[in-house]
Amino acid sequence: MSEELKNISAVVMEKISHNKIKMRSKIYFVVGSISTFVGLVGSVVLSVFLVGFIRFSIRTHRPMGGYRFDRMMELFPWWAPILILGSFVLGIWLLRMYDFSFKKNFKLIAGGFIVAIIIGGFIIDTLGLMTFLARRGPIRGLMKPYIQQDMPQDEFRRMRN
Amino acid sequence: MSDSTVLTDEEIVERVRSDDRELFAVLMDRYTDKLLRYANHLVHDEGGAQHIVQDAFINAYIHLHGFDVQKKFSSWLYRIVHNEAMNVVKKYKKEIPLIDDFDMKDDYSLEEEFEQKEIQAQVETCLSALPLLYSEPLSLYYLDDKSYEEISTILRIPMGTVATRIRRAKKIIKKICQKN
Repeated sequence: MSEELKNISAVVMEKISHNKIKMRSKIYFVVGSISTFVGLVGSVVLSVFLVGFIRFSIRTHRPMGGYRFDRMMELFPWWAPILILGSFVLGIWLLRMYDFSFKKNFKLIAGGFIVAIIIGGFIIDTLGLMTFLARRGPIRGLMKPYIQQDMPQDEFRRMRN
Repeated sequence: MSDSTVLTDEEIVERVRSDDRELFAVLMDRYTDKLLRYANHLVHDEGGAQHIVQDAFINAYIHLHGFDVQKKFSSWLYRIVHNEAMNVVKKYKKEIPLIDDFDMKDDYSLEEEFEQKEIQAQVETCLSALPLLYSEPLSLYYLDDKSYEEISTILRIPMGTVATRIRRAKKIIKKICQKN
């Protein structure tokens, strides 16, 4: 093995001394860490919002009878669950980059992550954030189909006031 | 480079990062043999192992600023070799076959406890017959003297899983060796 040792060491050192390989700067890794964190937070925020949005869109249509169900199916934001799925995958992939992810049972961490997001989505809708966004938020246009026409009268009245 | 022998790996990494690039050779000298054996165990090909170790050193050098000096350099380096080797294994879909015919020493007693140093040679022989899932942690534990915590870091699996795999590996290895 000693000959191999010499060879490997010589080849690598030759590349280093001739600048054929260069160390990546510290800033590259700092930016990488920040991006991972921002990506993870972004994925959580987006997923929580979309879960809340789906709950809001179902709640405002309250399936009562064929008409309401058809209307709900027609207006249901099918893109949202797909986006949530993508966001879950991204979030879980980013979670794996952290050391704690392998020190504990990762299936449990991933499951906890998904459950926490679903609960978070329900909470923000229950607290009225989705209703607020439908009325005043910058995404009012997105929420418009779910209000006025099909919203139960009491809910709509509450929103208007 | 005169006092490099007394420096820890992590101290050398600090110096290499702050422009003493030549010191990287010291790290390579410390680990080449061990890593070659480890990589060879994973891919069962000396030439392939050499490429893996060389690529691992190059990768380690490129990403040296990404290494946290509060952690163990050796575990980080082993992790890189593991990743490189897994890429090769996946690429060639090389299955490690179960070998039925070992050349075991006649005086080998399976009743003996699996004491680390005494069984090292036997473990090395039998390891090649084990599936990679079990042989890797076992080889790291017995042949590379890694602790459960280090193995957990290298393979990125919980310590409990390391313990389970080593325990199962011992059982399987006993069965395989008993056949002979």
